[in-house]
Amino acid sequence: MTTWLIIGGMTLILFFNRYLFLEPRLPIRLNRGVREFLGFAVPGMLTAICGPIIFIKDHTLNLSPGNPYLLAGVCAVGLMLWSRNVLLSVALSVALFYLFRWWL
Amino acid sequence: MPTTLPRVAFIRGAIACLPLTLACAPWGLLAGSTAIDAQLTPMQTQGLSLFVFAGAAQLVAIGMIKGGASALSILVTTLLLTSQHLLYAMHLRPLVSPMQAKWRISLGFVLTDEFFALVSPFDQKTFNRWYALGVGLCMYVGWNLFTCIGVLVGRSIPGLDQLGLEFSIAATFIALITPIVRNGPTVVCVVISLLSVVLFSYWQWESAIVLAGLAGMTAGYLCKRLGAYLA
Repeated sequence: MTTWLIIGGMTLILFFNRYLFLEPRLPIRLNRGVREFLGFAVPGMLTAICGPIIFIKDHTLNLSPGNPYLLAGVCAVGLMLWSRNVLLSVALSVALFYLFRWWL
Repeated sequence: MPTTLPRVAFIRGAIACLPLTLACAPWGLLAGSTAIDAQLTPMQTQGLSLFVFAGAAQLVAIGMIKGGASALSILVTTLLLTSQHLLYAMHLRPLVSPMQAKWRISLGFVLTDEFFALVSPFDQKTFNRWYALGVGLCMYVGWNLFTCIGVLVGRSIPGLDQLGLEFSIAATFIALITPIVRNGPTVVCVVISLLSVVLFSYWQWESAIVLAGLAGMTAGYLCKRLGAYLA
């Protein structure tokens, strides 16, 4: 029963977070400054999601150059600059990730 | 794209989201198998994916339930951990808020990191609601399918969480970020965001991701303003 309460609560919280600013009756107007600020949402947030995946393993920081996540992540940037193709870059960098992990 | 047929736009959206959906497979399998492992019933496990539909929050909640955390602490963690959705919605507000309630609620319900990554590049002229719905539903159906498979077979794959499958998500986001880093302020935004998320996660802050994202966005914005002021 408690588990269903947790699930219900989480459902409400997630919907609140997702829907709040989509509601037109919410009296906020986005001025130019806010729009410029939100223009940085994509690079800022997506980078923040990648960071822990690449640098944190079991609550410890892995900054060594032999970290396969870091090496393959750098390769993903290079592949994307070179190919301009999202799918190709992802596929090749994942393959490189497993190569590095097996090799190092 | 606004004039495209709804059906065509919907399918285009779903196809655009397919690689990201597949990249989420490992998490979906984990969300299914770890919940069973934490003594949730199959109904509760699928319920999490059907109603909550948030990968990171589900995995954290499952871990906390297994660890015997209180309902309140799980809900507070969920609120902090998923607060980036507030920013996503604020960014999408000019596109979504003028629509009818059924569209706002539907698109709001399927608003995820991946949805935001694929839909936010559009503006009022190029945005297509059916495309956005295709993106969102593709992820929703995929996520629930993977959860279901996770419930059924996940536990028979030993050490699923040790396989490093989460790299595919990082690789996808890197591929999406790289082409938009074209000027000084965006470089500053990405660098500050990366440095702060590593630091905040190292300190084990529950809202590390959203705070680091905000730090990066603030830094980028200040740089842009400073550039405009000096020019």
